[in-house]
Amino acid sequence: MNLSLNKVTESLKRLDQDASYSSYVALSNAISNVGIEESPWPILKVAVIRNFTIEPLLPILKGEILRMGFFPQFYIGDYDTIINEVMSAESGLYQFNPDVIILAQWLEALAPRFTQRFASFSREEVNLETERILKTIKSQIENIRKYCAAPVLINNFPIPYPTVGILDTSEFGQMNIMHSLNKELSVRMKPFLNVFFVDYEALMANIGYTQGFDERYWHAGKSPFSRHALIPVAKEYIRFIRALKGKTHKCLILDCDNTLWGGIIGEDGFDNIKLGPEYPGSCYMAFQNEVLNLHDRGIILALCSKNNEEDVLEVLEKHPYTVIRKEHLVTWRINWDDKVQNIRAIVEELNIGMDSVVFVDDNAYEIGLVKHQIPEITAIQLPLEPSQIRGELLKQGFFDSLSFSQEDKRRTQMYREEARRKQMAVQASSVKEYLKELEIQVEISSPQNFHIPRIAQLTQKTNQFNLTTRRYTEDNIRQFAEDSNWDVWYLQLQDKISDMGIVGVIMVRYDGIMGEIDSFLLSCRALGRGIENAFLIHVINSTQARGIKILKGEYIPTVKNKQAAEFYKKHGFTNSKDSMKWELNLKEYAGKMPEWIKVNSQVRSAV
Amino acid sequence: MEFKEEELKQVLSDVFNIPRDSVGENTSIDTVEMWDSLKHLELVLALEAQFNITFTHEETTEILNYNLIHMILEKHGIKFKENELDKIR
Repeated sequence: MNLSLNKVTESLKRLDQDASYSSYVALSNAISNVGIEESPWPILKVAVIRNFTIEPLLPILKGEILRMGFFPQFYIGDYDTIINEVMSAESGLYQFNPDVIILAQWLEALAPRFTQRFASFSREEVNLETERILKTIKSQIENIRKYCAAPVLINNFPIPYPTVGILDTSEFGQMNIMHSLNKELSVRMKPFLNVFFVDYEALMANIGYTQGFDERYWHAGKSPFSRHALIPVAKEYIRFIRALKGKTHKCLILDCDNTLWGGIIGEDGFDNIKLGPEYPGSCYMAFQNEVLNLHDRGIILALCSKNNEEDVLEVLEKHPYTVIRKEHLVTWRINWDDKVQNIRAIVEELNIGMDSVVFVDDNAYEIGLVKHQIPEITAIQLPLEPSQIRGELLKQGFFDSLSFSQEDKRRTQMYREEARRKQMAVQASSVKEYLKELEIQVEISSPQNFHIPRIAQLTQKTNQFNLTTRRYTEDNIRQFAEDSNWDVWYLQLQDKISDMGIVGVIMVRYDGIMGEIDSFLLSCRALGRGIENAFLIHVINSTQARGIKILKGEYIPTVKNKQAAEFYKKHGFTNSKDSMKWELNLKEYAGKMPEWIKVNSQVRSAV
Repeated sequence: MEFKEEELKQVLSDVFNIPRDSVGENTSIDTVEMWDSLKHLELVLALEAQFNITFTHEETTEILNYNLIHMILEKHGIKFKENELDKIR
């Protein structure tokens, strides 16, 4: 293995053990010695344009992007040159063709009088200045959108330490005006596609303005963040990047003793574990409530604990203060086997990727073992102090998502129903018989407005049966659905056991008599029924009806979508010189719909 | 607060991407190629984070070589344990 790659792997390991600024800097130096062409990781291109010295954040951003499984490539616009970067088609920003743009602005550089000489403003001048700031930012975004569709992460403005005095919070006070400026900024940005807010105001309030802001380096080098703010601010950007790249987590596997309650159920007993309205039991209740919030947002929950199963289940069924109950869990492994084995079994049962799992335990040994044996998993060790465990679960934003849909609320139920189907499959004499018994019905239609969040979410989260793995936001999908050169279809799946909601998406872009499948995906829990075939055949029929003669498809390999590699071949697509591009002559096509699937469809309607 | 000398050397090694063993009295803004104003800012923040101190503005402009960094950290109450190996030498 190559030396500079070795150095990266070493530094990455060190960062896992010691997440200090110095470790990030070391990793970032190691990264810069690796050429892009040497990287075994897929590249993630981030462009940063800014009006202040943002460089101290870069080592953390780079390190965290690598941790996420991407090789960071950065373009840093020169100091305070935002206007040049956004206005010219030939600028470095657009030449770089970024996956994500960070547009970072500090109000003091954008409008010095606003922060330094607020007292000199008349009411009218304040309004004019506010309007000028808002228009400046709006025009930056408008310009970016002329040349580039990449998601833009912009920031609002921290409220500066009061300069006028005790009247700051009054109606015409600086604080109040700043709050309105931030609020108005989010309103003005709403019409733009793919623009997301990094909330500097909330971040700096949380860190503490006097602690997080570095007056010394602001004046000396236009670098506003102190050592206390660097990691939290950079990680906030990372939360967005993680969600944009579909690297969010779906499943939370929890230990029980000293995690869901204080104490050890097998030793202390039902009556003595700490769970209830008084400290420290209240901390565990708060933790359980937060876990339940995650459940309500669509994170599936499982238990993995070294205990007697009946002891734990008794708590979940009968304890007066337990918030988490059996019905919230999708599965559990409560036994005396080792946790690595149990976690693997859970993940296999649920048919999800190991990298979408977060494992939480209070025991350093278990965490260490799991991390060592299963490097893809995210393992969180809870702090000893019970009052801190709730915060620990949330602070990294592992469960962030750019959208939230109705399907999320029903996810645990869906995974349970899947288990019932597996049971039926065992009893049926043949697969075909089983599929017939399921009475599968699919609806394949163009989306209405309320379908859009779910469709976007599927593009962000689906990894296994996903031919191109292109991640889109709600704004993207809405645009495609409105575009007459595009067709967007969703597939909704229903059978005798339940309605599984929207589980598949195909999007086709047209050019004359040619159609190209931009995206084709099916959620992993809908696989194994031949639905992907029915979906493609239906789409082929529709494009034929539209007068399309040639349909193109593309397979972009990732580490996870191997099962889709032969898909187009199976359907009679032929391979051009480029091995990933496939083509089908629709004149010759006569695919046969699987007889066990009933298809309903609604024609395209305006979104 | 007491630290090992290695911890200081490690920070400089991380920031300037040079082997830890090569960090010492000769490490200065004049001998380290990478040491420019942005790297200097990184160094200040990394030292502050590592030793949990805040330099004055003056000090940030003074820490231009290993001995000066050492001295100014000591001024902030940081003590360095002598390395056993160094003593023998």
